[in-house]
Amino acid sequence: MAISYNTISFLFIIVVLLLVPINHSLNSDDLVSELTILRARSTTSVIHLSNILLIRMLLVPVPRPFTLLVFFDSQKLHSDSEISLPTLKNEFLILTSSFHANNPANNNKLFFFEIEFQESRASFALFGVKSLPHGCLVSPFATDFERDSSQMESSDFSRHAESMAEFVEAKSKHTVGPIHRPGFISKKQKMSIIAQALILSLFLLKKIVSGNTLLHNKNTWMVGSIFVYFFSVSGTMYNIINKIPIAMVDTDDPGKLVYFYDGSGMQLGAEGFTIGFFYTIFGLLLAFITRVLVHEKNRNIQRLVMFLAIFVSFRAVKKVFTCITGNLGLVIYMGELFG
Amino acid sequence: MEKATDLFSLKSLKLKTKQQELLLRISILGLVYILAFITRLFSVLRYESMIHEFDPYFNYRTTLYLTQKGFYDFWNWFDSESWYPLGRIIGGTLYPGLMVTAAFIYWTLRFLRFAVHIREVCVLTAPFFASNTTLVAYFFGKELWDSGAGLVAAALIAICPGYISRSVAGSYDNEGVAIFALLLTFYLFVKAVKTGSLAWSLASAFGYFYMVSAWGGYVFIINLIPLYVLVLLVVGRYSMRLYVAYNCMYILGMLLAMQIRFVGFQHVQSGEHMAAMGVFFLMQVFYFLDWLKHLLNDQKLFQAFLRITLTCAISVGAIALGVGTASGYISPWTGRFYSLLDPTYAKDHIPIIASVSEHQPTAWSSFMFDFHILLILFPAGLYFCFKRLSDATIFIVMYGLTSMYFAGVMVRLILVATPAVCLISAIAVSATIKNLSQLVRTKAKPTQGGSGKGTTSTKASSKGALDHSLPYQRNGAIALLVGAFYLLTRYAIHCTWVTSEAYSSPSIVLAARGAHGNRVIFDDYREAYYWLRQNTPQDAKVMSWWDYGYQITAMGNRTVIVDNNTWNNTHIATVGRAMSSYEDEAYEIMRSLDVDYVLVVFGGVTGYSSDDINKFLWMVRIGGGVFPVIKEPDYLVNGEYRVDKGAAPKMLNCLMYKLSYYRFGELTTEYGQPPGYDRARGVEIGNKDIKLEYLEEAFTTSNWIVRIYKVKPPKNRW
Repeated sequence: MAISYNTISFLFIIVVLLLVPINHSLNSDDLVSELTILRARSTTSVIHLSNILLIRMLLVPVPRPFTLLVFFDSQKLHSDSEISLPTLKNEFLILTSSFHANNPANNNKLFFFEIEFQESRASFALFGVKSLPHGCLVSPFATDFERDSSQMESSDFSRHAESMAEFVEAKSKHTVGPIHRPGFISKKQKMSIIAQALILSLFLLKKIVSGNTLLHNKNTWMVGSIFVYFFSVSGTMYNIINKIPIAMVDTDDPGKLVYFYDGSGMQLGAEGFTIGFFYTIFGLLLAFITRVLVHEKNRNIQRLVMFLAIFVSFRAVKKVFTCITGNLGLVIYMGELFG
Repeated sequence: MEKATDLFSLKSLKLKTKQQELLLRISILGLVYILAFITRLFSVLRYESMIHEFDPYFNYRTTLYLTQKGFYDFWNWFDSESWYPLGRIIGGTLYPGLMVTAAFIYWTLRFLRFAVHIREVCVLTAPFFASNTTLVAYFFGKELWDSGAGLVAAALIAICPGYISRSVAGSYDNEGVAIFALLLTFYLFVKAVKTGSLAWSLASAFGYFYMVSAWGGYVFIINLIPLYVLVLLVVGRYSMRLYVAYNCMYILGMLLAMQIRFVGFQHVQSGEHMAAMGVFFLMQVFYFLDWLKHLLNDQKLFQAFLRITLTCAISVGAIALGVGTASGYISPWTGRFYSLLDPTYAKDHIPIIASVSEHQPTAWSSFMFDFHILLILFPAGLYFCFKRLSDATIFIVMYGLTSMYFAGVMVRLILVATPAVCLISAIAVSATIKNLSQLVRTKAKPTQGGSGKGTTSTKASSKGALDHSLPYQRNGAIALLVGAFYLLTRYAIHCTWVTSEAYSSPSIVLAARGAHGNRVIFDDYREAYYWLRQNTPQDAKVMSWWDYGYQITAMGNRTVIVDNNTWNNTHIATVGRAMSSYEDEAYEIMRSLDVDYVLVVFGGVTGYSSDDINKFLWMVRIGGGVFPVIKEPDYLVNGEYRVDKGAAPKMLNCLMYKLSYYRFGELTTEYGQPPGYDRARGVEIGNKDIKLEYLEEAFTTSNWIVRIYKVKPPKNRW
């Protein structure tokens, strides 16, 4: 995603450079303590980088006593789904919090920054950022931020926080350690949920013991067991473990969705559910015809239901068989031996 | 008077039909018994009488040792040929049931003066036990429903592909006898619960002992049975029969199981067995309370007492479990067990479990492949079971559902689910056909209600409906009957086809269709192993990926670094690291392991796709799990695994790549393709000019499937 600059930003840098007093620039310890304070103030431990702050860093003589890791952000591009900036930013925050959790020492010399395009175009120019997503690591020895900093390649973004951590560890002497992803719920919430569940379970237990709840109904159990069956045969576990999507976009025709995967040993979510549903329907129809339908006195209804059942089962079985010839067949076995 | 003679003739006729029925039943059962055996002989007819796959070679080797050296030597055997330099204590690290069974059969045959070779016995053990399983299935089905369901169950299980996959002739593995033991234990336990007799519970304890001695899957029994007992307690089906059956089975079974060294004291020490113990104590509390209730006539006093006892019992149990776990006396759950309950666990944490193809989760097509129509009959069977709930049907429903869930998690557990699926489907088939044929027959003989025991309620209901719509029902019933028979025929055809095409290949000898549709046999594995046996020094150490370890020791008779008993992850990771390092680094590792020969399996010439290059990412993953210097992304290009020109540089120069593709660049494999065209992956390889510095090619089999390299000695020594 290209970003446009105007020449005013360059002028701006020069003006700022002239305005900043020289003696201020030399005191690097002050800057470090200021950065530490800024970091402590930030809820995410990521410091918001402004033009002025960046210029001040530039003026610290090399080697600087710290390393910078900068994430380039743009609110405007957050809506662009292709580059998924919000996700990457979130991963960057996870990286930051993991780093601080693993290296709790207060005198950490690796600072994490984020910088916003709308307010700091000049800084973007200084780093020579032409497109997003972009991130870079500035070593203590870097004098020219564009030339001397190490840029994150797309592969460094690829596996999110983990690969960013690998990048940091490869390019600097800092170690990030294991990435801690926050769970869906925090520890406190977990505790309160467990406590509530415990209290609730006591009431439930009392109710169950007293009898005549839904749990004492045979049919509930029957529905439950049919569901377990459906869950297994539709390959839901396969979908969960391999993180299979419900449907896939057709590679030939991007507007079309593929629900049935035409190849051996693989399935799509919708495919599994459909087939599982066919199995269940057929099995239950069989039971229904032989056990329930005989109680029906009206001949026409009987006849209708019979034909309907036969038709539905025939369709279901046929569909399953056409699927299986596409999906399995001899091909897979010969294929396994000699691809 | 006339009436009396009528009655008499009817009676004699009935007796006669009963005899006929008995005769029919026995002959059907006999035929099913034979069918189960012969349908598993495809592999023997097509190839030859040989042991299949990987693990069976270890079992065969140990059985051979057992028959040659006797039981005590076998029990105390320290095997220095595997896991070099660690070695393996065989007696303490295997389930001896299979070997002892085969040796027993062998000795019996010898005693009867049949001069058989032990290999023949090993090859035919699994089919023999499959036949026995059909008998157990018959009795189990009879116990659950009626003898008709038993017969159908026996017939279904005899040819069910889910079971055949692990019990064809030559697949000499633990599962072959274990499924028999599993079903037998369950049957005996259900029988014990039904009768409350000590004899049946004792028998089920011995069944359990046999199961423990044969397969690690016994953990399923020791968790399912307590769960079943718990459910019976909860739904208020507690009885003295249950008390006798469970206590006897649990205590005796546990004591017997402790005699197996590999299992040892796990029944009292491992978390996986704690459920059984918890239920055992719960039973005692239940019984105690029952007894107190009997003594104390005061209801209020009893309620108060109940509250105190329950609180005490539960807290004592919880504290004991907590202390036991914290002090390390009770071991936590193993990875395999964990991955059953939380299926995503293995994929994230234990690559060595996730790497095995049979540990993958099951897609719908595998279910269809292994169960065929049984899958669609299963819900109907469940429905019938729920309509006629008894202690036995509750058990089969629980067995069916739990094993079905586990089968969804791991492909190999389809095997455990097969007996349950067969039994439940048999109930559906038998009940349906019985109902339908009764309908058809009542028309012919309106006065006679049809013979046979069982579904009386159905009979009554169908009779009630008969009054109104007889002609139509009869036609409908005939149509449904025809449909049912059609489906069953399809099932038989499918099973035979699957057995012949998919499950009967020994995988040590490979077969493919040639250009003219003829069968081409590749016998490269055995060629390589016999080469090792005859051309290398007795004490040579061979390094290969762990899949081939058992075969090399059994057929090549040489020491291996790692084998299929994956007990030491670090050692396997070391081999994985060597395979994925550059040649010089790998040389250091191989020197430290005293490796003399390296064996790789390569399918580029034949198009054999389960070769080492396709398994290579798992070597990297397992190696990287222990040695972080190995990083998976180094071998991938943009997350893609490639071997052609665009492959990662590390990939193109690692040991596995070099050994697989050495001299391959000179070879033209397919007409119209450049030299060095890999037929397994369908690409031209990226590195055709491979030079080996520390290894030299020793032997390549005729179709290049197995390649053996010799590790050169250090330069200044010869």
